[in-house]
Amino acid sequence: MNFLLSLNKKIFLIVSFIFIFFILFIFSLNFFESNDNSENKFYINKKTSDISEPKFSINSKKQKISVTANEGNFLTEDEIILEKNVIFKSNKFKIYTDNVVFNKKTLVASSKDESKFISDNTSIDSAGFDIIENGNIINFKGKTKLVLK
Amino acid sequence: MIKYVIFFLIVLLNYKYAFSRNIGETEITTEDGIEVFQEEKYYLLKKNVEIVSDEFELNGNLVKIFFEKDLYDIKELIASTDVNFKSIEYNIKGKGETFKFNIQNEEINVTGEKSELFLETTEMFSDGSITVNNLAGSFSIEGSNSKLISEDILITGFIINGVLVNDNGAREISNLEVQDENILTIITEDTEMFSKKAFYDREKSIIELFDSVTIKRGSEIITGDYGILDTNRNSYKVSSNNSNKVKVIISNTK
Repeated sequence: MNFLLSLNKKIFLIVSFIFIFFILFIFSLNFFESNDNSENKFYINKKTSDISEPKFSINSKKQKISVTANEGNFLTEDEIILEKNVIFKSNKFKIYTDNVVFNKKTLVASSKDESKFISDNTSIDSAGFDIIENGNIINFKGKTKLVLK
Repeated sequence: MIKYVIFFLIVLLNYKYAFSRNIGETEITTEDGIEVFQEEKYYLLKKNVEIVSDEFELNGNLVKIFFEKDLYDIKELIASTDVNFKSIEYNIKGKGETFKFNIQNEEINVTGEKSELFLETTEMFSDGSITVNNLAGSFSIEGSNSKLISEDILITGFIINGVLVNDNGAREISNLEVQDENILTIITEDTEMFSKKAFYDREKSIIELFDSVTIKRGSEIITGDYGILDTNRNSYKVSSNNSNKVKVIISNTK
């Protein structure tokens, strides 16, 4: 007899219920963990930001990368931390993340947060990135997944 | 109860496949990131790189991919350090220290010690380099310990160049040129051949041997400067630059 047909309905339902409960438990644990993180971030952001909705661009001979974010705070005279909904946009790609440190003197942008790069038929998910040499080099850091369509 | 545990274990173990890549997509994962050089038009994939597509799978530790316009528009792939690759669609697999794949020329090159490339029923080995060009239908094995094993022939030599032809959907060796400053070896079902240079022509069904030629068959050993073996008739002839120099040894094996 087919293996699936030989399963007892009642026991199957009970085990399914336990299984679903187990999955929900794991998901809720993840949810609360991420909530904790966002709360931490909230406390940091509670203070008034130095720049509201900062907008600027990184220019090179071949491309212009415009940078936008919800908030910006000065870390040093040259370094700004861009927070919440940070977007790097050029005519070829977009990068989405939540926290980026930008050095206005060296024009280096660096993030240690999860980032998503989207381009034509291409997406990259990484654990952060560095944009150096006026945007010529993008270094996606840590465990990275690239999908080409 | 065990049945239920097995059932849910199957579900759990297959969970990740439900979220894996879609058909037609190429998924690349790395442990230590990707560096994209936009002006130079290449990207570097670092540490435990895994490339999976419908047609091709590759594992390596450092992979450099050159692209035409965008990242997906791949021109050439160069992988190094413990490279393993396979393509079920093209019936090809191999491994080596370095692997190069030129997509435009349809050329595969494997280099380094203990390089291997298996193409359908043909097996190629070398400590130097192995190159297969799909468009030209040619291959080249070069370096020490170079070896080619096909269904009915084993060849060793320093340089093994050949042409592959499509015979009823299967690629078969059509022409061969083998060279070795020391001595090359060609072993068929019943004959062993040694020389410094050899040519194989499938159409003419002949194997020609040049310089320091030795042909062994059963208890017969014939040496000379030139040898020719007819693979259809299974007959051979050995001659010498000096007509008195051909040497035949017939040993009694009983």
